[in-house]
Amino acid sequence: MSTDEPPLPDPQTLFECAPCGLVVTKEDGTILRANQTFCHWIGFDSQALVGRRFQDLLTMGGRIFHQTHWAPLMQMQGSVAEVKLDLVHHDKHTVTMLLNGVRREHANGAFNELALFGTIDRDKYERELLNARKLAEGLLSEKMAADAALLDAQTQLNRAYEKAKRRASFAEQMVAIVSHDLKNPLTAIKMASEILAQGERTARETKLLGHISQSAERAQRMIADLLDFALARVGRGIGVSPTSQDLHTLVRQSVDELRMAFPEATLLHQSIGTGNANLDADRVQQIIGNLVANSVAYGDLAQPITITSRLEENQAVVSVQNHGPVIPASLIAILFEPMTRGTDTDSDVRSVGLGLFIVREIAMAHGGDVSVSSTPEDGTVFSVYFPSGAVAP
Amino acid sequence: MDLQHRNNARVMGDGPATLVFSHGFGCDQAMWRYLVDHFTGRCKVVLYDLVGAGQSDLGAYDKEKYNSLAGYAEDLGDLIDEFATGPVILVGHSVSAMIGALVDRQRPGTIAAHVMIGPSPCYIDVDDYVGGFKLEDIHSLLDTLDSNYLGWSSTMAPVIMGVPGQPALGEELTNSFCRTEPEIAKQFARVTFMSDNRKDVAGLTTPTLILQSSDDIIAPVAVGEYLHGVLPNSTLCLVANVGHCPHMSAPCACSEAMDSFLSPWIDPHVD
Repeated sequence: MSTDEPPLPDPQTLFECAPCGLVVTKEDGTILRANQTFCHWIGFDSQALVGRRFQDLLTMGGRIFHQTHWAPLMQMQGSVAEVKLDLVHHDKHTVTMLLNGVRREHANGAFNELALFGTIDRDKYERELLNARKLAEGLLSEKMAADAALLDAQTQLNRAYEKAKRRASFAEQMVAIVSHDLKNPLTAIKMASEILAQGERTARETKLLGHISQSAERAQRMIADLLDFALARVGRGIGVSPTSQDLHTLVRQSVDELRMAFPEATLLHQSIGTGNANLDADRVQQIIGNLVANSVAYGDLAQPITITSRLEENQAVVSVQNHGPVIPASLIAILFEPMTRGTDTDSDVRSVGLGLFIVREIAMAHGGDVSVSSTPEDGTVFSVYFPSGAVAP
Repeated sequence: MDLQHRNNARVMGDGPATLVFSHGFGCDQAMWRYLVDHFTGRCKVVLYDLVGAGQSDLGAYDKEKYNSLAGYAEDLGDLIDEFATGPVILVGHSVSAMIGALVDRQRPGTIAAHVMIGPSPCYIDVDDYVGGFKLEDIHSLLDTLDSNYLGWSSTMAPVIMGVPGQPALGEELTNSFCRTEPEIAKQFARVTFMSDNRKDVAGLTTPTLILQSSDDIIAPVAVGEYLHGVLPNSTLCLVANVGHCPHMSAPCACSEAMDSFLSPWIDPHVD
């Protein structure tokens, strides 16, 4: 070693002014010596620290941690490294430090020798990390809870959907089976009464056979209505297969047939405009049949029932007009709902109150709509509109 | 269920009675090293790690089961069934003393005697009872645990340097003590320090030795005296010691008191 180099500071100065806190304690933690650096960091002077226990300088959490973790480890493995501790400054604020400690045996007993490093910025950073982790954990658990709730709702929805589907198909099947089973005996009744009518009958017998035949026809219509109702309400909806039709011819044929069915009424047909319309012919006949039957049931038969087929630029319209009592506004509002009837007294003249509901369902299946007006001057007019898409060019 | 694996159980020695040592919060069975040799010549000794601590099977840790001390008591009961022969004396440190009391309550007769080291039936002050802590102290501990487990180990490694009088610190010594998985440590801390077992200990008639440190912030003398008051067959032994681990820092005083208390079951004369 060269003699002209300056001498090192004495060990006392090196200890006191070391760039870390240095503390020597007894095994029970009683402080024997603490350097100036440590005293400065913690805000106590050296004299105030000697005789106190090191652990008493810690926060309560730190003291428990000392007792349960690092004190046993000092004993067992003789040292601990990089333990983070919060110490309470003389001013009562906390000072975070990292501790390395060694238990060293000397001739006169064992001592704990501690080195402490201030770690304010690093601690701040670590706390930020910790907060970020807590936040992330919180968000994760929120997300998981939301996912679970969503899955739960989805499952319930699926279950409800399956249930509704099963119920609908059951209802549809049931109605189909029932109406099919009812049709056969009705057909047999009609055929038998027709055969009987061919022989020689008294006037009374002919009249009775007529009743049987008409009643069977009515029952058949009611069954057809029920089937349509079931399809519209719980099943797949009323199906239509539109093709290009000459509207006026179609309506005229219907009216001719209805004249036979309702000889007591006067049916007039009026056609306006020209051209074809895209319609389901059977279903349009069903509409006219239902509306005319309604007019016969509720209208004034002393005056004619007028059926109009009209081709306009954007739509085709079929309307049925009768003269009779004005329908009250309150009834107009619910007229197209199922099970609605004009009056209770005439309940034997029509079916179960599904006719207008089915008319509207058929119109809607074509993409169209229905309307009704009822005044003392113009009587009652039901109109069915088929939109431009349904009108052939 | 392989209990040996689950709880890292070790069985040593032989004799007419069995001493089961159960460690407390923050450490593992290694903490018994200063006491165990004293007994292995005269009785059977069972050491184990609580699930989640030391070298227990972390895969066996079930957050639900270990959300109260009852889960640990169930395990201790299993271990006694599996390994103990003759009368069973439970040596429980800190929270394990209460785990032992729970086993005794659930299965009377299983435990012939208790040695409770630094026990506390309730750490938090409630009404007139003085446990020594307030709720915010426990939160402060959880904070300290949090900040110590971030970034570095789940153990506190020794200083890597030569220490006179200590063996060279090889790889197997580093990180070998008191390993704890951070999340488990936090839950165990909460379960331990929030527990209130005063009802379980009150009137327990099993002979009990309370080893009470003269200066212990975790289990203050007043708590030892409280337990002595509610355990009709208890002996309170005050050990001159600073800290919560008299079996480590004052092992001779502890073994002396234990020899005299255990004389009905274990020959007090060391060969």
